Amino acid sequence: MSKKFKIGDTLSFIKQERNLANKRQADARSHDFNEIYFNSDEQNLVKQADRCLDCGNPFCEWKCPLHNFIPNWLDMVAHGQFEQAASLMHATNPLPEICGRVCPQDRLCEQACTLNTGFGAVTIGAIEKNIADTALANHWRPDLSSVKPLGKKVAIVGAGPAGLGCAELLVRNGVIPVVYDKYPEIGGLLTFGIPGFKLEKSILIKRRQFLQDIGVEFQLNTKIGEDISFEKLQQDFDAVFLALGTYQAVDGDLSGKELPQVIQSLDYLIGNVNQQQSYQMPHSYHDLKGQDVLVLGGGDTAMDCVRSAIRQQAKSVRCVYRKDENAMPGSKTEVQNAKEEGVQFIFNLQPLEITTDGVAFERTDFDELKHKDKKVFLSADTIVLAFGFRANPQSWMKKAGVETTDSGLVRIENQSIFNTQDSQKTSVSGVYAGGDMVSGADLVVTAIAQGREAAKQILATFGLVDD
Amino acid sequence: MSLYHHSQGKDSCGFGLIAQLKGQQSQKLITTAISALTRMTHRGAVDADGKTGDGCGISLQLSSSFFQPIAELMGGNSDALLAVGQIFLNSDEVKAQIAREQLEKEIKRETLHVVGWRKVPIDTSVLGTTALQSLPQIEQIFIQAPVGWGKEDFERRLFMARRRAADLIDDEAYYVVSLSNKLIIYKGLVLPKYLNVFYPDLADDQMQSAICLFHQRFSTNTAPLWKYAQPFRLLAHNGEINTINANRTWATARHKKLFTPLIADLPNLSHLVNQSGSDSSSLDNMLEVLLVGGMDIFRALRLLIPPAWKKRKNMDANLRAFYEFNSMHMEAWDGPAGIVMTNGEKIACTLDRNGLRPARYVITKDGILTVASEVGVWDYKEEDVIEKDRVGPGEMLAADIGTGQLWRSHKIDDNLKNRHPYREWLRENTIRLRSNPKLEIQGAQNHINDDIQRIGIYQKLFNCSIEEQQNVIRIMANDGQEATSSMGDDTPMAVLSHKSRNLFDYFRQQFAQVTNPPIDSLREKSVMSLETCFGREHNLFQETNGLAYRAIISHPIINFAKLEQIKTLDQRYYKIKQLSLNYPIYQDLQTALIKLCDEAVSLVKNGCVILQLSDRDIDETTVPIHAALAVGAVNDRMIKEGLRLDVNIIIETATARDPHHFAMLIALGATAIYPYLAMQIINQLHLQNRLQDDLMTARDQYFASLRKGLLKITSKMGISTISSYRNARLFEIIGLAQEVMDLCFAGLPSRIGGATFADLHQDALKSQRRAWRQQINMQRSGLLKYIHGGEYHCYNPDVVTLLQQAVMTGQQKDYDKFAETVNKRPIATLRDMMQLQLAKTPLSDEQVEGKENILRRFDSAAMSIGALSPEAHESLAMAMNRIGGRSNSGEGGEDPARFGTERNSKIKQVASGRFGVTAHYLSHAEVIQIKVAQGAKPGEGGQLPGKKVTVEIAKLRNAVVGTTLISPPPHHDIYSIEDLSQLIFDLKQVNPKALISVKLVSGPGVGTIAAGVAKAYADMITIAGHDGGTGASPLTSVKYAGNPWELGLAETHQALIENNLRDKICLQVDGGLKTGLDVIKGAILGADSFGFGTGPMVALGCKYLRICHLNNCATGIATQNKTLREQHFSGLPEKVIRYFEFVADEVRDWLKKLAVKSLNQLIGRTDLLHLLKGDTDKQSHLDLSAILQGAQRPNNSAAHYQRVSNDSFDKGRLNQQILHDFKQDKIKKQYIINNYDRSVGAKISGYIAQKYGIKGHRLSLNFKGIAGQSFAVWNHQGLELKLQGDANDYVGKGMSGGSISIFPPENISYVASRGAIIGNTCLYGASGGQLFAAGQAGERFAVRNSGATAVVEGVGDHGCEYMTGGQVVILGPVGENFAAGMTGGRVFVFDDFDTLESLANLDTIEITRLSDTQDDQIQADLKQLIQQHIDKTASRWAQKLCHNWPSYIDAFKIVQPKQSRQLSAIKPLKLSQGALT
Repeated sequence: MSKKFKIGDTLSFIKQERNLANKRQADARSHDFNEIYFNSDEQNLVKQADRCLDCGNPFCEWKCPLHNFIPNWLDMVAHGQFEQAASLMHATNPLPEICGRVCPQDRLCEQACTLNTGFGAVTIGAIEKNIADTALANHWRPDLSSVKPLGKKVAIVGAGPAGLGCAELLVRNGVIPVVYDKYPEIGGLLTFGIPGFKLEKSILIKRRQFLQDIGVEFQLNTKIGEDISFEKLQQDFDAVFLALGTYQAVDGDLSGKELPQVIQSLDYLIGNVNQQQSYQMPHSYHDLKGQDVLVLGGGDTAMDCVRSAIRQQAKSVRCVYRKDENAMPGSKTEVQNAKEEGVQFIFNLQPLEITTDGVAFERTDFDELKHKDKKVFLSADTIVLAFGFRANPQSWMKKAGVETTDSGLVRIENQSIFNTQDSQKTSVSGVYAGGDMVSGADLVVTAIAQGREAAKQILATFGLVDD
Repeated sequence: MSLYHHSQGKDSCGFGLIAQLKGQQSQKLITTAISALTRMTHRGAVDADGKTGDGCGISLQLSSSFFQPIAELMGGNSDALLAVGQIFLNSDEVKAQIAREQLEKEIKRETLHVVGWRKVPIDTSVLGTTALQSLPQIEQIFIQAPVGWGKEDFERRLFMARRRAADLIDDEAYYVVSLSNKLIIYKGLVLPKYLNVFYPDLADDQMQSAICLFHQRFSTNTAPLWKYAQPFRLLAHNGEINTINANRTWATARHKKLFTPLIADLPNLSHLVNQSGSDSSSLDNMLEVLLVGGMDIFRALRLLIPPAWKKRKNMDANLRAFYEFNSMHMEAWDGPAGIVMTNGEKIACTLDRNGLRPARYVITKDGILTVASEVGVWDYKEEDVIEKDRVGPGEMLAADIGTGQLWRSHKIDDNLKNRHPYREWLRENTIRLRSNPKLEIQGAQNHINDDIQRIGIYQKLFNCSIEEQQNVIRIMANDGQEATSSMGDDTPMAVLSHKSRNLFDYFRQQFAQVTNPPIDSLREKSVMSLETCFGREHNLFQETNGLAYRAIISHPIINFAKLEQIKTLDQRYYKIKQLSLNYPIYQDLQTALIKLCDEAVSLVKNGCVILQLSDRDIDETTVPIHAALAVGAVNDRMIKEGLRLDVNIIIETATARDPHHFAMLIALGATAIYPYLAMQIINQLHLQNRLQDDLMTARDQYFASLRKGLLKITSKMGISTISSYRNARLFEIIGLAQEVMDLCFAGLPSRIGGATFADLHQDALKSQRRAWRQQINMQRSGLLKYIHGGEYHCYNPDVVTLLQQAVMTGQQKDYDKFAETVNKRPIATLRDMMQLQLAKTPLSDEQVEGKENILRRFDSAAMSIGALSPEAHESLAMAMNRIGGRSNSGEGGEDPARFGTERNSKIKQVASGRFGVTAHYLSHAEVIQIKVAQGAKPGEGGQLPGKKVTVEIAKLRNAVVGTTLISPPPHHDIYSIEDLSQLIFDLKQVNPKALISVKLVSGPGVGTIAAGVAKAYADMITIAGHDGGTGASPLTSVKYAGNPWELGLAETHQALIENNLRDKICLQVDGGLKTGLDVIKGAILGADSFGFGTGPMVALGCKYLRICHLNNCATGIATQNKTLREQHFSGLPEKVIRYFEFVADEVRDWLKKLAVKSLNQLIGRTDLLHLLKGDTDKQSHLDLSAILQGAQRPNNSAAHYQRVSNDSFDKGRLNQQILHDFKQDKIKKQYIINNYDRSVGAKISGYIAQKYGIKGHRLSLNFKGIAGQSFAVWNHQGLELKLQGDANDYVGKGMSGGSISIFPPENISYVASRGAIIGNTCLYGASGGQLFAAGQAGERFAVRNSGATAVVEGVGDHGCEYMTGGQVVILGPVGENFAAGMTGGRVFVFDDFDTLESLANLDTIEITRLSDTQDDQIQADLKQLIQQHIDKTASRWAQKLCHNWPSYIDAFKIVQPKQSRQLSAIKPLKLSQGALT
């Protein structure tokens, strides 16, 4: 088959193979916390975007929690209209360069892509990332000159994806959002949880500048309930959106979890960022250089930990997961990257007990013919627990009457409207909530979607109904 | 209210006239005419009782030898002129007497004398039951004029008396058949053979006439009325006036304008032409007004039914001026029309511009002229014939009975054009507005400079989504034609939608099916015109200079420059005024509309000639009245006030963007449209760099695509000129409330109610709010493709994924999840508003019928190989065969290797392209389906993009590789209901075992059409919904034509029941069926059988990508690409089988829950459906009760499901005899053949194809006489048919082999080569074999020929149209539009007068002189063919050519498709003769 390339060729999806941007070689990348993917050249972006079939049923868009206008911006990219594409990306997503990096596309848009049945899905994430990066690098800003100020202000607690998603949509509609966060930089877990090799910190700084430029106000290093009271927010603002995330680590109630060589994944990751960015946060830094490290868990956070440990030049890094590889909840791509970088994976081991030497496990797939023992012991210098997070409702929430579920998640009202979207309203009038603190630890993109949904509902109370 | 109305009855028929040119009256002529009529019985309808027909009649000169003595007996004065009226009176004597008295009173008011009344003798023993039940009292009134009156004066006063009486007599049964001092008409619901038995008058020796006009009717319903029999008072009409709606509206508008001193009281009549009932009778009314008003027959007929004068290259300039002048006063009455008329002194026959009805004539030595739908209707002696030919498209033949003078078209035209200096008048007073590119550029620039930043507000205010901008407008601007799309429209109708939709979405375009044909606007564009003029219209009776003050534009869509030019026209004649459509948001819509109309009236009364309605001056405090509402209301009001002819309506609107929008505005009466927003969007696309070409080119291309689209839409209804479409209101409204209809769309069908003014106002407010909030983005409506939060799609990703999941796993729970997602979706179709009423005690499993009973009712919908990959096509066939259902071949033929295996498609489709339709193909069918229309694009033909025409597909279709194949919109052999009847007969002859199915699309009146189809002896009728799929189709066709099947199915079910036809028909429903619940609801609404298109495709793996037309289907289903088919197709038949088994199980589940034992018992059980209120205001304003009533099972014992077969009255005796003789090996030396022996040869062809296969069997048959229609149809390999005599239409249609020769007897005295020896549409769809005819052929010779060889001595219009292969030699003249769209094969034309270039359609062909080719082989080929022609037919003309070859050779030209540059490289397609057994 001819490999001759022509834009608009209806068969380009077979003539042109799926081609992700090149990664840095594993040994070159595993010593620093810089991103591992090279930027794609324009020609490649155009070719890859042109592979899109423009399906009558855009499965990618359907699967995306934000329902990004994927085929439309792919078409623009294929025609070299990068700035228009960036603008369209921003129509549904305030953080495209971040989603392009951290979304598990292989479970969402690219999984649903029609071409993912033997042709290779369109490289949606890579294109999103590259186009948005370029736009930000060029200081692109949406034209909001015609937006009429509504004279309304909304307080947003938490500058993570949900908070930013809400703020951006509000500001585009003439509402002033003021975003409070306890950390010194916006992003929440984007900044402090996700290591630089997946998402360089400069990206968030650029995004903050962008958001500030279009009118979002940030009050960082500010803790609600300490620096400013929740009642004050309720008084001073026309609505409040809560997006505090879930920070309570799940420890699995393992015996030995209190041992000094046991670290919680998030503490480890935040400590890293704090150190690298020289923030003056109270999180302590764990240097795992030369150590034998065991990471327990199989999700994306576990991957972040193992790969961070590799970069700290741990002697060995092993990831232990209680089920098999297929059951791993995180992105397959990240597992692959971790393997390339030298992480060893051990599956089907359920931790029983942590000792000073290591961890005792029990096989979950024990088979007498194959295995000698049901129990396995792995020795380690440091054990990182990456079992996930639980809600950590704040005391002022309860005081204000914000109801939570048994598991501590904020209870929101369900509305059975036609589009079957969940409401983001809490039990307190004028107070909305979204993101992980509502749905439990979930994807960045889901949090953004909830933030935007909350913004829509807030706007509706201001008389702006987008019908 | 019910869905089906008798009044929608359509008819068509056989017609003719016989006249003694010298005026010698005789009884014999009457007898001959009646026998001629009898010999066309097959063109009418005959009821099962053998007595009831749909009506026939005869119009005669008022025989003085018969009537004078009667008048004298009554005491009449023998000196005064006598008139006799033939009157149908109410059978109720009291009512009859009221009518008699009223009529007498009006006659007396005219100072006429009523001599007396005569009861017309009748013999009711020959009447069938229906006819007897509706039999009126039939009486004659004898009237005398005062002595000294002339005949014409007498006629005029009789006319006024009759019309006034009709206005006053309120009695449906009262009807004046004729009232004249020149002629009398006898007609009724009898069969032709009984006409003079029923009326003994006609058999009386003293009843004599030199003129007999006769007609035999085929009506689409079985309860026809006596008065609808023809002839009407002046004319008899075969066909259907497609433009009738516009004609009627304009007649009303024109009424008050008409003035003639001869009948000064004309304006007093209540109406000029009747507004409902038979189209032919309206035409008769109009003709009558013109004639009594003083116009002569020539002008009147040429005015009403002009030829296609606009684009004739070789028409005389003065004649063109005559037609142009007249076109300013009367839009054409167009449509399939063969008209014969007489006023008792003159006779005339005329044909519509497109020649869609046949008319053959013969003149014999004794001065008798016979014109009829067929040749050979009475047994004149061939040696007595002095001339025979046909009347061609737009031609007229007239004669003055008495003087014997015969007038042919050109003589009539010469007479007309010289009456006035038309050309001078036009030159002096008519302004042609030409394009002004400089001004246009300036306009575009102004637009950009002044308000490009406001475009977003406009787009939101007028609901123009990003999708529409990018996928509709941009494509049009880039490509110069509409976007092509595929799959179907799976979104809710506008009224069901939760979104606020463009009002145009409520409009469904009407389309022609069966009773009239769409036009092929692509290949027959020579008959089309979009010309539009401005200026007041005047009295058409006066032909004077001043009446030509008109400004003409070439098409009704105007750009900036045109609008500027119009504004600067001389204000004395073209005063222009503007009215805004924007009204304050606090006002209500209805008030705003009324105010608008009031203002318009006052402007026009004050001299405004051009009224410009505009929605451009938008404001934050106003909302726009939608252009369609405004134009509808204003136009209607103008007509009511008698002002419409004084004003032209220009609409400057943002709402009009795609061709449908424009067509609707014009259909509502707009003169011209200025689409400023669309232009501005193109400007913006240009600024955004989204256009391929420069701005001005893009704008031009956008306009070009609109023109094309408009032609497509008008041609869908068979309308050729925009002036006959304007005001035609050819659409149905789905989902608007009566109040909206009354004010804006009065008289239009809107059968289920819907959105009120308040709803529409609310919708407008929503858009208004969005519009002025600049931070809100433009909507991505999701109307075309699924978009989250956009319009609902029935095949959304959830549905597709769940269905595929279910057939992959085969697990019931997965299917249940799919079925629940579909069955519980938000209301998206009409049936979703109908809920099942489940029984309290369900049945047990063994109580309901078995799964196999249900599965056999499932068919897969027609999908052609070509559209589908061979793998997918065969998978479907295997699956359907295994479950006991049927798969449908679609219209692309089928590989013969599949015949007789489990890959065989049991249903073979016959569509207009006739791809692969041969005797062999047809003989392997269980069902033969005639695709009259397709749900996704009714009124249009199938399309196969060139990319998909691979070598193997091209071979199956006999087409050229890589050439896009667009099937003609019409079947060229179905222009009328009796044509369909003929095609069904053809098919039943070739394959007597097959059931014949006819696929129709739901539209208003489909029930009527279906009843007609049932009367044409179809066995199955499919009613497809608008939501059917397609492999490729223009976008607006998918979106705007066709109705929900719920309406069409219920209406059809009801129509069939009312006409006692239901039990003869297997009624199938098709369109978006997905689950068992759909099947259940379909059955309740009347269906016996169920067609599934997309469902099984999705089961095969289709992901609803809507890229079928691009040949890159990633699932390997809708593509011919090898890689995709081989590596990515995973469509096992098992998946489809699983799907249908799930559906059948679900059907059984529902049956149990409903406590109904079988589907047959469920049909018509509308009591089991409960109407839901709906979720939105608009939904709750719907009233679907008519659907439920329509589908209700009758209380009496009338049948409600299919149980008996539908056999034709015509047993095809000659065919039976031939087959019998063949089987006995006793083939006769010669068979005598008559015009009523139809489809002769078909049965033996089918038999041989079945028995001997594709190679056939050698057999020679000789015939003498005049062959009926479809002689040698589907002729098969090895069969040689020789006919000495003439043949009618469709000779050699679908021929795939063998040979046909037709030649005149030896002793003739006319020149055979100068007249028609075979009729219209011969060799249509032929793919092989040979035809030699020693005479000329009619219109549309060898259309879609793909392999046959033919030699004829002349052809009519549209010859060799869309030919894709084969060879044709024409040794004489060709008609207009020759070789249009020809893409393959070769034609030789003897072009003696060097006119071929001006007659041919040069779009795809090139013409070379034979003498210019260097290739001797070509000459040799030609000579050999001519020699063969001589051998077969002994043609005198061919012999003459051969004898003097060198002197004739220079006149020969070769016509070939353009792409074949190298003549020598052409190898004519020849089917190998093979080894014959």
